[in-house]
Parts: sequence; structure tokens; C-alpha cells
Amino acid sequence: MIKIEDLSVAFDGAEVVKNVNLELKDGEILGVVGESGSGKSVTALTLMGLVADTAEITSGRIVFDDVILREAGKPLDRALYRKYQGAEMSMVFQEPMTSLNPTQRVGRQVEELLRLHTDFTKEEIRIKVLETFEAVGLKNAETIYASYPHQLSGGMRQRVMIAMAVILHPDLVVCDEPTTALDVTIQNQIIELLRVINEKEKNSMLFITHDLNLARRICHRVAVMKDGRVVELGRTEDIFEHPQEAYTRELIEAVPSRLKRRTSVFRQKYREAGKAAGFEQSGALCAGQEGECLEQAEAQYSEQRGERQEQEDAGETVLEVRDLSVYYQDGSNSLFSREKRHAAVKGAKFTVYRGESLGLVGESGCGKTTLSKAILGMNRDITGEIRHSTIRPQMIFQDPYSSLNPAKTIGWLLQEPLRAAGMLDQSLRLSKADMEAAAYDMLHRVGMEEKYFHRKPNQLSGGQRQRVSIGQALITNPGLVVADEPVSALDVTIQAQIMELMQKLQQEMQLSYLFISHDINVVYKMCDRIMVMKEGKIIEIGETEEIFAHPKQEYTRELLGEQK
Amino acid sequence: MKKFDSGKWNKYLTAGLIMTGLALLLGILGFFWTPYSTTAMSAAEKFAAPSLRHLFGTDNFGRDIFSRVMKGLSTTIVIGCLVVAFSAAAGILLGALTGYFGGLLDEIVMRITDAVNGFPSILLALVLISILGNGKQNVILALGIVFIPSYVRIVRSEFIRLRDADYISRARLMGVSRWRILFVHILPNIFSVFWVSVMIGFNNAILAESGMSYLGIGVQPPDASLGKMLSDAQGYLQNAPWYALAPGLTIVWVVLGFSLFSEGIRRRV
Repeated sequence: MIKIEDLSVAFDGAEVVKNVNLELKDGEILGVVGESGSGKSVTALTLMGLVADTAEITSGRIVFDDVILREAGKPLDRALYRKYQGAEMSMVFQEPMTSLNPTQRVGRQVEELLRLHTDFTKEEIRIKVLETFEAVGLKNAETIYASYPHQLSGGMRQRVMIAMAVILHPDLVVCDEPTTALDVTIQNQIIELLRVINEKEKNSMLFITHDLNLARRICHRVAVMKDGRVVELGRTEDIFEHPQEAYTRELIEAVPSRLKRRTSVFRQKYREAGKAAGFEQSGALCAGQEGECLEQAEAQYSEQRGERQEQEDAGETVLEVRDLSVYYQDGSNSLFSREKRHAAVKGAKFTVYRGESLGLVGESGCGKTTLSKAILGMNRDITGEIRHSTIRPQMIFQDPYSSLNPAKTIGWLLQEPLRAAGMLDQSLRLSKADMEAAAYDMLHRVGMEEKYFHRKPNQLSGGQRQRVSIGQALITNPGLVVADEPVSALDVTIQAQIMELMQKLQQEMQLSYLFISHDINVVYKMCDRIMVMKEGKIIEIGETEEIFAHPKQEYTRELLGEQK
Repeated sequence: MKKFDSGKWNKYLTAGLIMTGLALLLGILGFFWTPYSTTAMSAAEKFAAPSLRHLFGTDNFGRDIFSRVMKGLSTTIVIGCLVVAFSAAAGILLGALTGYFGGLLDEIVMRITDAVNGFPSILLALVLISILGNGKQNVILALGIVFIPSYVRIVRSEFIRLRDADYISRARLMGVSRWRILFVHILPNIFSVFWVSVMIGFNNAILAESGMSYLGIGVQPPDASLGKMLSDAQGYLQNAPWYALAPGLTIVWVVLGFSLFSEGIRRRV
């Protein structure tokens, strides 16, 4: 049993963890959820004895099976901790790419633990490692044993990390966002694996995450943290069904769920019109042969639209993609190296209509980003056809910290698209006062105060930056906007605000979004139609509800998986 | 960007500012006024030891060394500034183009800079001077050319780092012209790195100029130059050590001050 009693941790006199009380029973998975800066990671690192030396324990203590590991006012007892680290407590980190040593074979790195903590013979060690590899679901354990980290996929690496964490059968395993860096399908497998291990080993797990859905699926109890304090603690069902605290409710509501989908005005009108004209809902008709059924779906969709168009005026095509293949060059851009050409997108075919959001989902490496770059004109090595009604489709980037020029003020950034447009086309040239007025107007529309006009990006929070980023993309009224994971770098509550803002602006400005995301729930909330990509091909396309209710492809079903 | 007062003030910065400030003050003052004329000779006061009347003493012609050091500082500062301005401007242009566009131009320019870097800079400057001939302008030109590669490398690597940043992709999407992306969008972001190398470049320029004047191929008489004074003083080290010490220590003072200053700035960032 592990007890964290009244723990407070301070950096430079500022407390980031305040009087935290947590108790981990044997065999229990305790979830710690909260947004970035809530103190959840510092709590875990302090428990593990891995927190930076500049951290000061200002109150409380950590007790591990009646042994006091850490106490306020006393320095870290490294010798004591070393006995526990690895053997009695272990940790799975977020980033499987950097938590393995790239210069050593995977087997050797796992072996090291056994060499340090047991007196097994060489052969015993080897057998134990192979056994553990198999236990964490690594097939071909022998091959993995002799591989270097870079030869393994992210999911495999995370399995190796888990193997390292459980090989000595520790009483406590701390998982710090173990699936955040992984693709959805892999995420599900890892969660399942952790659950199985917990059941088999009867160990305690501290599961740290910002994702409430994950916590809900795996944890027995959940602690909600905010600003360094535990604001609510209880059984998972109780927390999710009857949250007591306002903040917990806010967190739960911020998570996009399928019940709270909002259909865009365009979609509603279209649907009414479709019904009036006697058509069924269009959607995924795909049964077997992908190419054919996609065409069917598209054909039916545009037929219905044609029908509808007689009754309504707005409904033109914003983007039309026909038989598009996109290539990329492999190899360095050097004088003496030969370049290879690969198709990252093969035969893509779809249409985006005015005012709709088309979701694009698929695992990393499936060609989502390559496709969007081609549409934006950033990758010109293509065959096929891309036709858009707008001259310059714009983009909303994932990382709000690198998408705004740090040397410029917000006002300058918002005006730059107008200046650029004016330089390209004399007729679009605006006076200084007009540009400034437009920038102020945009600042209001993205929900920011005027005082930010003269600030620089580094004086803004992540959410504020993303607002400015959206404003910058929309100020020229581009019609089509590619949004590449626009909310995945943000905390849940901010996520909800940004999605709301994007929907509001979509209605005001009649925008079409091509919305790329790996988060199925976000896509569900934002998009009218969904397009599924796998290995460079679009394998399914259809209305959101249709896709979710009746996915036609096995892969789609897997992708939607258990994410609820 | 941190404001001047919010950044960590350190003793490097204090010492550097005081030393550089004093040298700059004397040098700038030297343009307009010196205690004595730098060319006025006085047979009666040959080799006068430092005193209140002549702070650094007098030389073999009875000229006031302090005044000549002031004048020499002015010359050195002007040459240093012009060399840095020339090589930094060329370095920014070439570094920006090669870093942003890459390709064949990049290969060509980088191979040339490799070749230039293969020789000691002073040696190369000597060769250039022997082709161009003596004189202040040619010294500036020769040193300017020799110092270009160091700036090209720094600017180029910064441009390579930033050319794929999201905000640059975004600028491209907006249809911002290439020149505007290079010099309005990217350039302001490299200044913090660039300033440090400008400071170091200034030091190198001062040292190189002094060295060349010492060898007699730099600034020519009657212009005062610290390096030239040093070589003139060589013959009188025994009976008038202050003659050599004054310009020598001044060079040390300026270079040390500037080094401390740039170190202070580097640590603050």
C-alpha cells in the first residue's frame, strides 16, 4: 500500500502541489486526471524520487508499505530510493521514442534491470526477458531482443517499456500518459495490456492522463487535480456519473462526446431538403470494392445536392479532388544522392461543399498530412486534379507555439495576410486604417480583447495563440480551411472553446473545413462527413452518423474502436 | 524577448559595458578633439615619461602618445565597424539565400566558404592587400571579404532551422513573396543569435587590423593606428617602455571589454 500524505512540493517558493492526499491500495489502478500545470506529473515524479533537485517538499510524506520514503524538510535519500526504483516501483513514460537508448539493443536494456536487482545467471536472465516480452504481447520475442529501438514501431517500443516496468514484478507501476504519443488503434491495445497486467500481477498502478475517456476505461478510482490540489477523489463510476465539483463537471463536459454533436446549419438545411425530395440519407454505401462504392457514395451525395440546389441557393463546390496521387522524395537533398519517388497518396477522390466540415481520419503515416499539403499547394509533385473555388485555401496548424512568428505583434500578424494579398493583387490593396480596423474586428471575432493587439505571441497562452492563429487564417475569408489537428495540443476545456469558436466562425463566414484529427470524438463533434484514410488510400467516406453507426470497413471499425 | 531590466544582469555585462564604453568614448572624442595635435612634434619633450602633462608620455618625435592613442582608437573603431557592417551584410544576404533555397547555389557558396576557411584569415587578407594595394579602404575591403564566411554559416543554419517553421509555411500559404519571407518574416528571428557573432566579429576585425598595421600594410601614416604605433615603439622598448605599452594595452582593453560584453549578452539570453 502506498500513501501520499499531505504532500506539498514547491519550485522556487511557488507551490505546484498543495496538500495532496492519495492512497493506492494493492491491485488498484488509481487515475490522476487534470490539465497541464495541475501538478499531476510532479506528484508522480516526487513519488518516484525523480523530481528535480530544485523541488522542495514543503509538507507531508510518502509512505511505501510502512517505510517512509520521503518526508518534508529532509533531502532525498538516494540510497533508499535506489532499492525501490525498478524493483518495487517502476514507471512508463509518455514518449517511447526517447525513453530507450538508441545505441543499445533492446534486449540488453531490459536485461540491465535483472543484472542490477537479481542474481540470475545469464541464461536465466535471457529466458526471463523473452518471457516478459511475450507477456506484453510482443510476437517474435527473439527478434525484438536483438533489435535496436529505431527498428521498432512506437507501439512496440511502448510494449518494451512496459516489459521493463513489470519484469521485476514491482508493487507500483506509475504510467505517465503512456498512450498519448500513440495512434488510436495502438492506444487501445496498450490500455488493454495494462489492464491485463494489473489483473494478473495484482500490482498498484498510478495512471496519469489528461484524457478522461482513458481514465474512465481503465481506472478503479480517479483523482481530479487542479492547480496542485486534488479537488475530487472517488470511484470512477461515481466521478463520471455524479461529479460533485464544478470543475470536474466542466472537465467531463468539455470532452467531446457523441451525444453533444452539433450539426452545422448547412447540414441541417441539406438534410431537410433531401427528405423533402424523398431521398434517404446519403452516406457510406461502401460494401466491398472500395473504388466503386466510393464513387457510388459520391454520386448519390451530389445527386441529392443537385436536387437540393433547386430549392436552395448556397451549395457550390469549394474543393474537388479527382484521382489525386501525391508523391514525395526520399533521400537527402544533396548534390550526390539520388532521389526516390514514392506515392504517399494514391488516387484520392472527394468533394468538399460550401459550409461543410469534412473530417479526415487515419493513423500517422497514412498520408493525411501529405494530402492536405497537396490541396494547399505546398506539394506540387502530383498527378490528378485539384480544383478549388478559392485562390488561397488557408491552414490552421496543430502547434500554437510554432505557428505564430515570435518576432511580430498580434496586430502585425493579423494584418500580414491582407498586406500579402494586396501585394499580389492591386485591387485588393487596403489602406493602413482599413487593415487595422479589419485586424481589430478579427481580434473581436476570435474572442480576444483589444489589449492583445500590441502583444507578442510569447505573452499569450496556448489557447489564445490558437485563437490568433485561426484569426490569421480567416482574415482573408479563404472559404476553405485545412485544420490539421487544431485542438490536439490543447487542454480539454480549451479544446472545447476552440471547437466552439471554429463552429461559430464557420456559420458566420460560410467556411468549409477539411478537418484532420486522430481524435475520433473531436471529429465526431466537428464534422458533417468523415473520410477514412489507410496507407494512402481513402477507404471510406460518408456522413458522420452513418460512419459511426455502420462502419463498412473493418479498419474503420477498428479505428472507432472502443473509444466512447 | 526579455526586456533589458528583466534579464539576468551579470558581472560580465557590467565590466564589459564599462570597458567598452570608456574606449568608445575616447575613440569618438578623438574624431573632434585631442589634448595635443597628433602630429605636433617637440624636440624638447622627446621620450617624456607619463605625467599629468602627458598622460601616456611622449614618443621619439615628442608627440603626445595619449592623443595619438585616441586618434588610433577612432581609426580602429571606424575600420572595425565598417568591416563588420560589410561582412555581416554580405553574410546575411548569402546565408539567407543559401539557407532558404538550398540547392546548387548553396553547394557553390558553401564550397567557396570552405576554401576561404581553409586559410588563416590574416594570411588571406595579406594576399588580398598585395593584390589591391595599401590603404584604409583596401584594408576594410580585404578584412570584410575574409570575414564573410563566418556570418554566412551562422545565418545559413538559422535560416535552415526556421524555413520549415509553421509560421513560415503559413506565410507561404498567404502568398507572401520570397523576399518578404526572407527579410521580414525570418530575419528578425535570428538577431539574438546574430548579435553575438557580430560582437565576436568586431573583436576579430580590430585584432586583424592592428596586426596588419603592425606589419606596415594596414593604415598608413600620417593616420594614427594602434598597430602602427606598436611597431614604431619596438625600437625603444628599453628606454621608453610606455611608448609600446600604451597602444598595446589599449588593444587589450578594447578586445577584452568587447569579449566580456558579448559573453555577458550571451549569458543573458
